[in-house]
Amino acid sequence: MAEERLLEILTRLVELDPDGGSEHLCQLSAEVAGVSGAGIMLMSDDPFPQGALCSTDSVSALIEELQFTLGQGPCIDAFRDDQVVSEPDLASPASIRWPALCPPLLAVGARALFGFPLRVGGIRMGALNLYQDRAGDLSPDQHADALSLAYLSARVVLSQAGDLDAVGTGPGADFHLVVHQAAGMISVQLGVSLAEALVRLRARAFAEDKNVDEVADRVVDRRLRFT
Amino acid sequence: MTNQVLLVQTMVELADSLVDDFDVDELLNLLAGRCVDILDVTAAGLMLASPGGELRVVASSTEAMRVLELFEIQSEEGPCMDCLRSGRAVVSTDLDVGDGRWPLFSVRALAAGFRSADAVPLRLRGTVIGALNLFRAEAGGLHANDVTSAQALADIATIAILQHRVAREAKLLNEQLDHALNSRILIEQAKGVLAERGRLDMTQAFSKLRSYARGHNLTLLGVAADVVSGTITDL
Repeated sequence: MAEERLLEILTRLVELDPDGGSEHLCQLSAEVAGVSGAGIMLMSDDPFPQGALCSTDSVSALIEELQFTLGQGPCIDAFRDDQVVSEPDLASPASIRWPALCPPLLAVGARALFGFPLRVGGIRMGALNLYQDRAGDLSPDQHADALSLAYLSARVVLSQAGDLDAVGTGPGADFHLVVHQAAGMISVQLGVSLAEALVRLRARAFAEDKNVDEVADRVVDRRLRFT
Repeated sequence: MTNQVLLVQTMVELADSLVDDFDVDELLNLLAGRCVDILDVTAAGLMLASPGGELRVVASSTEAMRVLELFEIQSEEGPCMDCLRSGRAVVSTDLDVGDGRWPLFSVRALAAGFRSADAVPLRLRGTVIGALNLFRAEAGGLHANDVTSAQALADIATIAILQHRVAREAKLLNEQLDHALNSRILIEQAKGVLAERGRLDMTQAFSKLRSYARGHNLTLLGVAADVVSGTITDL
């Protein structure tokens, strides 16, 4: 992933929302990827969507709502298969994947749909959905940006409180792998999910005014235990 | 003779499509149709070789043409096959001279109403990626000007196809990098879980993960995902 581009996208997100909240992620995604609209669907391990986090316009809102109601669509496939899903032309799809979804979406002017999974390692939280009002695949640059946006969105959604730096959202932060090792350990110590373990780790760092890496190091070296 | 106005118009149209996003199959079908309008031919079709070497018919101006091209691939003889093999144009070949060059193909082509066949390669530098096939109901083959025009159209089609392939490969590579990064995180999370459960250090935790995967003939990633999701608990 191109770190410079990721930093540019992050900068734009902070412009949109200095608190780093999640409600601007869809607007950011549509703007950065240069598509007609975007939505984010939150999902947990049961296959049913939990609901939309945000959407940029009425078409995106309908895309999220229909996926939620019908249980089919790019977000659901992207989440289930843990991979990027593309349908460059809803009017003549290569395979009939979402029979109930296509007619109403075509009726409101959506022609191409794309889904990008949101995950941090084994923590899977949903999918970013992009749509275009004309047929055609994403360009390689749009596709690369969408991957960066999904990467960033996953971390913002997980951060909840919005302390972006503390989650290690900065470029290269995930190479600070000790954070993820610590999250694995904390999840066992507390008997909670990995997502929650990561939130607890971050909260601890925030409370101690330390960065997450330092706290994670102490956990891995067994100088700190969560109980 | 070549319809010059339509030729230029088609060249501009094809070049335009390269700037924006485009559908390769649609572009090639447009090209096959235009060849019939621009050149003095009865039918036109495009055959492509996949990077693995497999041949397929990607566009044909008529159904009879498509059937004949499929037959060429199947019987492994005909003007397009010669063109693909040699990388050079096969020009002005009358089918009823009975010189035994394409015994199977000639019979079929004549029965379908064609008397002569030409083919120009889709080629970029040393690589031949396919052929543009031009069949005529009359004997005598293409005029030399038409061959030049056909090759120009084939060259643009070649650039379009290769550009599309490069774009697709770039996306695939990005997805693979994204996946690799996420996989790495997943493994670290699983190591953390195992380290805490078994009072292990991270190196030991990784060894345990790996030997479990080997012992059960599973992938490292699959085991890591199951550890993290709690599906595997005996580790």
